[in-house]
Amino acid sequence: MSEQFNQTIARRRQVIDTFKQELIRRLNLAYVPEDLHEDVSLLGSGLGLDSLDALEIVLCVETCFKIKIPDENISVLRSINTVVDFVIEQQDAKGGPA
Amino acid sequence: MRESPLQEKLAAAGAVFRERHGARVVSHFGDLRAECGAVRDAAALADFSFVRVFTLPETPGLDLLDALVAGNVPKIRFGRVLHTFLADKNGLLAADCFVANNDQEFVFICESILPDAELDALLAFGGKETPVKDLTPGHAVLSLDGFKSWEVVKHIFGADIIGLPYLSIENYQFEGEPVRFIRAGKTSEFGYLLIAPVKIAARLFDTLKTGVEERGGRLIGADAHDALRLEGRFFNIFREGQRVRDPLPLGLQWMIDLEKENFSGSAAIKARRAAGLKQKVIGLAAEANCTTLQSGARIFHEGRGVGEIVTAGVSYVLNQPLALGLLPLELAFSGLPFRVGAPDGAVARSISMPPIMARSLTVKLDEM
Repeated sequence: MSEQFNQTIARRRQVIDTFKQELIRRLNLAYVPEDLHEDVSLLGSGLGLDSLDALEIVLCVETCFKIKIPDENISVLRSINTVVDFVIEQQDAKGGPA
Repeated sequence: MRESPLQEKLAAAGAVFRERHGARVVSHFGDLRAECGAVRDAAALADFSFVRVFTLPETPGLDLLDALVAGNVPKIRFGRVLHTFLADKNGLLAADCFVANNDQEFVFICESILPDAELDALLAFGGKETPVKDLTPGHAVLSLDGFKSWEVVKHIFGADIIGLPYLSIENYQFEGEPVRFIRAGKTSEFGYLLIAPVKIAARLFDTLKTGVEERGGRLIGADAHDALRLEGRFFNIFREGQRVRDPLPLGLQWMIDLEKENFSGSAAIKARRAAGLKQKVIGLAAEANCTTLQSGARIFHEGRGVGEIVTAGVSYVLNQPLALGLLPLELAFSGLPFRVGAPDGAVARSISMPPIMARSLTVKLDEM
């Protein structure tokens, strides 16, 4: 595999693992990280989290990655993958992972 | 083949039909783009009478259903609906299910990929003594979906409907007959299922159709629902579900109560989970002119076949082909380039799903 391909996977895997572990811990979910598909819907269908849980997700991202999700940007919370996209995008804007 | 009680009415409205797992369903009404657009921008009405609907009294329904489906039935609060699945004894998907706790009865709705006789044999429901009612022959099921669909049902059934949370059930009357009303769309816009006796089904259909058309919407078929489910990353048992069958690579663990000891197929599913996941489905998107992003096409990475497309369609919001591909775990990440159809075929990039933000997610109905 190309170096860039491998780097993309490694970086994404790191953000996903960190986020999933913290999400499971904060929300006391009865899953292990491997059970959570990255495209599973966080709100409504899927994990079915409510607005209080959404706040926990926002705090989770802030704690793990020192990145704030603006109140008006709820589209970030569509799935684990969209949260991870947002984190990587914000890290890049700050010059790379912390 | 099972036919909808609204068959003639649908045919008169221009429906094009096809067979799907023993039921005649409406494919489309001639304009897929307009049908998808109606859901995203207005409201749309579809005949869902292809689903199987059963009711069971609270006792013994609770125990019987809990022994079958992967989710936890005793945890369903009154008036709420559980989205889960039914697997066969090998732990392979048989039906995508809603179980609703509705005023001393459970309503059990199955989108099944099994022939009716096989589903009946799998359900069994504890033998002939069980007072289960199969509502399928005597009822029509209508699906009302769309950004403005709540306006249509509010006008017909009253403002209370606005307060219904996602995955809930309520009973209403239409022309003095009972209508079981479930808020449970799979398009990512507002969605409602209405289960109505055949006696009033045609008039309810006409009333809803008028309400939909007054808001700029239209009748739609299963093709539009398939496209919208993919775009909203809602599980579709008739597409990726039928092709993959194993709920774990499909990411359906959220439908399973992993602490529950037994349900249909639980031993096989738990054994596969313990052995570890080897593959999973991820989203793929290609350029607008790509014609090879089709179900069954091989996915290539560095000249090597690594997976296959398990469902494909078009997003009319993004104006590009979308698909779900089954890939080895080590490659199942978004943001990567693959080739489809051939080692030097068109490029498809893995993407984060769902790729769109539904308009309905920006509206708080209880603040309207």
